[in-house]
Amino acid sequence: MQAGLLDTHHNAVSTRRSPAWVVTGLLVAFYLLLYFGKEDYNATDAAVRYARDPLNLMLVKLGWKLNDNGSLWVFNKWYLYAGLYTLGMAVGGYFMLRKHGNSTYHRYRTYSLVAVQAVLGLMLPLVLDFLGRPAWYFSYFFPLKYDLFFPYNMDHMQPTVMAWFIVMSFVGLPLLVYFKGKRVYCSWICGCGGLAETFGDPWRHLSDKSSRAWRIEQVSIHSVLFAAFAMLGLVIADGLAPEGHAIHNFANSYKGMYSLAIGSIFSGVLGTGLYPVGGTRVWCRFGCPMAAMLGLIQKFGRFRIAVKKDMCISCGNCSTYCEMGIDVRSYAMQNRDIKRASCVGCGMCAHVCPRGVLQLVTRRDAGPGQHTQEWTVDL
Amino acid sequence: MHFVVVGNSIAGIEAAIALRNRDAHAKITVVSYEHDHPFARVALMYIFCGQMRLQDTEFYDRELYARMRFERVRDLVTGVDPVAKRLSLKSGSYLHYDRLLLAVGSVGRRLPWPGAYDQPGMHHFVTLPDLEGVNAMAKPGMTCAVVGGGLIGVESAEVLHLRGLKVHFLIREPWYFPVALDNAEAEVVAAHIRHHGLDCRTATPIDGMERKGGKMVLKMPDEELPVDFVVGAIGVVPNTKFLEGSGIALTPGGAIDTADNLESVSTPDVFAAGDCANVTWPDGSRRPEQIWYTSRDQGRAAARAMLGDDVKYRRGTWYNSAKFFDIEYTTAGFIPFAAKPHKHQGVGAPGEEAHWQTWYQQVPGQAITQRIVCKDGRFVGFNGLGTRWDHQVFMRWIHERRALDWVLAHMNEARFDEEFVEPFRVLPSATLVDGA
Repeated sequence: MQAGLLDTHHNAVSTRRSPAWVVTGLLVAFYLLLYFGKEDYNATDAAVRYARDPLNLMLVKLGWKLNDNGSLWVFNKWYLYAGLYTLGMAVGGYFMLRKHGNSTYHRYRTYSLVAVQAVLGLMLPLVLDFLGRPAWYFSYFFPLKYDLFFPYNMDHMQPTVMAWFIVMSFVGLPLLVYFKGKRVYCSWICGCGGLAETFGDPWRHLSDKSSRAWRIEQVSIHSVLFAAFAMLGLVIADGLAPEGHAIHNFANSYKGMYSLAIGSIFSGVLGTGLYPVGGTRVWCRFGCPMAAMLGLIQKFGRFRIAVKKDMCISCGNCSTYCEMGIDVRSYAMQNRDIKRASCVGCGMCAHVCPRGVLQLVTRRDAGPGQHTQEWTVDL
Repeated sequence: MHFVVVGNSIAGIEAAIALRNRDAHAKITVVSYEHDHPFARVALMYIFCGQMRLQDTEFYDRELYARMRFERVRDLVTGVDPVAKRLSLKSGSYLHYDRLLLAVGSVGRRLPWPGAYDQPGMHHFVTLPDLEGVNAMAKPGMTCAVVGGGLIGVESAEVLHLRGLKVHFLIREPWYFPVALDNAEAEVVAAHIRHHGLDCRTATPIDGMERKGGKMVLKMPDEELPVDFVVGAIGVVPNTKFLEGSGIALTPGGAIDTADNLESVSTPDVFAAGDCANVTWPDGSRRPEQIWYTSRDQGRAAARAMLGDDVKYRRGTWYNSAKFFDIEYTTAGFIPFAAKPHKHQGVGAPGEEAHWQTWYQQVPGQAITQRIVCKDGRFVGFNGLGTRWDHQVFMRWIHERRALDWVLAHMNEARFDEEFVEPFRVLPSATLVDGA
């Protein structure tokens, strides 16, 4: 028995009852405000007014400004958002570990997720900004960070930073994923995954397990992957094409559409807003181009979930708590190792299995017969 | 050919699927009383405490019947007439069959206290109606007794405790789960149960029960214990009452007596699989096997027999696993103390002299133990608490007749735990004693 999961289905906010819809409404409203609300930002004004006032400078850097009448107002919404995000992950991570902290794997990966967010997702950009340097989120790579190679980023990107992003996006992570699985990114580093694993933990069982959802997922996630790489191509073409070429307009409107539809609405408003009714990894499962790319590599890599032969009692804990909607039980019942592109390697299926049937492994495939032999021992 | 399968749990549904996979045209009818869809009975405890819904325990998608073209009959079979080849149903209708599979499972063994079942308050934890009964009864703050030190006992004690009831876990035997654990291992489990706040008592026989002032008072040698209700978990018995008088041979324990091909020894064209079937064990004894994976295997074997194959059902080397609160348990091979009262569970001829040795260690301060049993210097059995092991690896080593030192040196190859856990080490406190 996994004591922390006991009340999952007795708890209104975890079971799509009215409190869940209220939370979803609040989250959606929050994200609409975040992406489409106006912020009171004027860099020149800020520099002039606050440069010699340490208290106000500090507040500005944290996303607030002190008005002349003494009231506080959101100044830079993105820093405010990063702070809230980190707080949500830390608090969610605390509650997640109250349930699953008896597992070393879950402890380590939750520490990693929260630490990456706190350091690379919040503090380092703040410090860099403080020092007057360009602030980068060093844990987001292409194609998840779709605007990494947009001119407004490339124009002031130092060569070492550019090297980091290019090498990690196209060589480093793919290699890590080949040897250790997609989980290296999705369940240990990524901020989106991190929020799902911590703040979103009370809703992980809501993922749709039907084969219809699986078919939709395969089409939608790979479409986004294609759209992201098409955009990369356009950005390059845009940079190479002579001035006045028709491609500039097309590239700009394409980038705008992708930013709006995928970057803001899908990954933000829906991806997080729908946690309480659709499960936590809706974006990761149906939309994230990074997950799609790493998933294809995982499919050919070493990571899989090994199944202990003929020990499954079909209880369904694994499938219920799979946030990616994988019907883990159907594999376990057939003694088939699980090698699915979508698996983010969170390890929850193995953790909640009451018979210890599942194990996340990265060794080479066992030789044929290793898992199929019938042993009838005659003493 | 019309195949009728009574019971849609793992034995019945696996048989029906195996029948369809081999015979695309036969008419296959699946009769079930509890639920429209196959569900994992072993997960009742998770439904009770809200970790899963009943729907989550359904182990096939709901389109299975349509895809496999199974006729669904939702009814209770009240009798079998093997001469007319028909079943009588509770609804009053009849169902004809050409070949019949009885996969009707078990019900909780009733406690032998006079009048116990005349009034509400006696519960079991085996079927969906049992679950509904306990669920309606159990309110936080109540006091209840779970009687019987086996797997169903520990599971129901755990979930009742987690719901906020005061649970008395009463075990007749001198230690918990004596068919599988020895004294030292059982003490680790019992200490863990007590640590959770339950009143876990061993060597506690109950002489009877009487009702006083709305309470059920359990009579024990030194004490009378008043409780609000009782969960009887002293084992299960085949769910075969409806077969009495049908002419289908039952054992004294109520199991459907089957031949090697799982066909009734008395009645042609009637087969049995799962908990209700009396089968031959590796040691030659005859009794039901009440285990999930053997029920599945029996269902598949019975299906082949129903199709006319020459089938001989034999379970391989023993293995199993369980979970006692947070402590996971894995066993493989022969643990002789676990064989009682079936003393010679395939471990040599009765009366044969053998040199038994038992290697045992517990990680200090933790509910982690390993036990390795050797016969004449060769590895024959393993028991492990608190960590995960691959029983298949142990069974291969048993088959390869490995020596104790070799096994100890290779133990980490059999680990099935998550990453970052402590590897297996031989501790200075490990003991090796003669005798099993």
